[in-house]
Amino acid sequence: MNDFAVHAASYLGPEGFGNDLTGLRAWPGPLQEDLARGELNGLHWSLLSDSDPSRFLRMDLMCRLGFMAAELLDANLDAMPAARRRRLGVCVESFTGSLDADIRFAQTPRPSIFAYTLPSTVIGEICIRFGLKGPVLSLISPDTNGANVIIEALEWLRHDDAEMILCLGIEAMNSSTAESVPLPKNLLPRSWHGAALLLGRAEKSPREKCFTPGALADVCRQLCSVPEGA
Amino acid sequence: MATSVETAVNQAPAAIAGCGAFCASGPGLEPLQRAVASNASALRRGEFDSGKSSQTIVAGLVPEESLGQLRAADPAHADSRAFLFAVAALKQAEKDAGKILDRIPAARRGFVLSTTKANIEALDKLVRGQLVSAVAQRQIQPAFLAADLAEVLDCRGPVQCVSAACISGLSALQQGAAFLRRDLADVVFVAGVDLISQFVLSGFNSLKSLDAEGCRPFDKARAGLSLGEGAAAIVLAKPALSSAPSILLSGWGTSNDANHLTGPSRDGSGLALAIQRALARAKIAPGNIDYVNAHGTGTPYNDSMELLALRSVFGGHVPPFGSSKGIFGHTLGAAGILETVLCVLALQNSLLPGTPRLREPDPNAPDSLLGGPRTAAKLNCILKINCGFGGTNAALVLERALP
Repeated sequence: MNDFAVHAASYLGPEGFGNDLTGLRAWPGPLQEDLARGELNGLHWSLLSDSDPSRFLRMDLMCRLGFMAAELLDANLDAMPAARRRRLGVCVESFTGSLDADIRFAQTPRPSIFAYTLPSTVIGEICIRFGLKGPVLSLISPDTNGANVIIEALEWLRHDDAEMILCLGIEAMNSSTAESVPLPKNLLPRSWHGAALLLGRAEKSPREKCFTPGALADVCRQLCSVPEGA
Repeated sequence: MATSVETAVNQAPAAIAGCGAFCASGPGLEPLQRAVASNASALRRGEFDSGKSSQTIVAGLVPEESLGQLRAADPAHADSRAFLFAVAALKQAEKDAGKILDRIPAARRGFVLSTTKANIEALDKLVRGQLVSAVAQRQIQPAFLAADLAEVLDCRGPVQCVSAACISGLSALQQGAAFLRRDLADVVFVAGVDLISQFVLSGFNSLKSLDAEGCRPFDKARAGLSLGEGAAAIVLAKPALSSAPSILLSGWGTSNDANHLTGPSRDGSGLALAIQRALARAKIAPGNIDYVNAHGTGTPYNDSMELLALRSVFGGHVPPFGSSKGIFGHTLGAAGILETVLCVLALQNSLLPGTPRLREPDPNAPDSLLGGPRTAAKLNCILKINCGFGGTNAALVLERALP
């Protein structure tokens, strides 16, 4: 276990967003209120970066959160040699999965939404963005903590199935979508977040700093909100 | 010194202990084996009621009579077809596994579900304001469906739900084998289920990926896929539990094309990578593969990509291969498991399945494409492959443990 490390972590949730030991940054004022009550349409790429990922606007909420969490990692994935990205696995775990897109597609079937009615689509978006070739795993779990993909990722590393693993924990549901169908409360997420961990062998970190390992969103939130100098 | 067979049995994490199926060809393994032997297609033309209008489709629809029997036997789940289908397949796999399960306590029985949309037709009904039972609503959630199915099988060990588009089934088998390798369980029930629903039909209609005449995998004139529905189940067990494990799951691999969300890569390199990973894990060379059960949906792009991937891995010596989707359609989250069940039957009967509904082979297909079934002089090792939306690919290696 000591051979492995969290190379990078990122978190986006109602409390803010962050990717390092500098604490979570607050969302802009007007957006903060929307996000606090679960209206997530205002989450936009431009909050994090000046670049223009043209695919972003066509994505569903789950992909947007996963995509932002992966980009926020600041792990220099783009700069990695293709041979390393060929052995960079991606795992995602969620309770809500693609339910937001499912409801919208069931209400108004459109081809542009259909591709996003799978919880694994976020893996495809991230692999396209960074040129990652897997291995891949997509789990739906009865809780929202994302711990299972960390366990699976450590197994993959232990058996040298991959050199690094990008683990994602995503819960995404617009409150307005949830209210538009009489679904039982226990099918809906308690909150929302996008969290990402990059796990790998300690000696192969793509960054100078790496964290020690330790459920996904909680770890990410804690890693990202440790005050500077702690 | 251990023999090669002993080595393979000791190294492979999982043996196939039992199988079950419930699909368009009917309930159980016998109708499936009959369909393979006669190269028969169970696809049929049917009216699909969308709630607003009806559409005629050629698809792998579960026979009404079979569904009626399941509903009569379990009225509490009458409007959760996903649950009924999966239980039917699982109960058969449990029976097929037989006495090996008697010695396994509930805490050592794991469960993995593979599905893309679980009981999605309940969501269709809720959106249209129709009445849906509480249990059918609950089973919209794939993890809850997994938990409910695990309870039926008295699996109190690890429970997991894989939802990874059309590679879900192979990915779930991989997870089941991983449970055994990590000693989290002694046996793992792995089930796959999906439905033809208005939701699914609307989606594939919108992508214009259905062949109005029914799928023709690897055919020169192929024009799209046929949807299928149903369930399949496999009981994986530690090889040491059986005095004579006959079929081993010895390798698996996944990959991503990193290319396109709804279309395969044009060069087949992603699928080739998944195959290479599976062969490497199984520690076998491509030349050891005796048969490949392809994804073979019948869409022009998918089948072309698979042909490239097979040539990339096997060069000029592509082993006999074919697609089984002409039998029962594309069963989505059940596909990987249902088609693996078919591979198990092939190994058990030394009969290579053909490619039902194939008329004129794609001119780019190697001569080893099987139109009809063929008795195998040698059949020890099978490669099963699947691909899916999001650029996902998966491969699985099954080996016969020779006596």
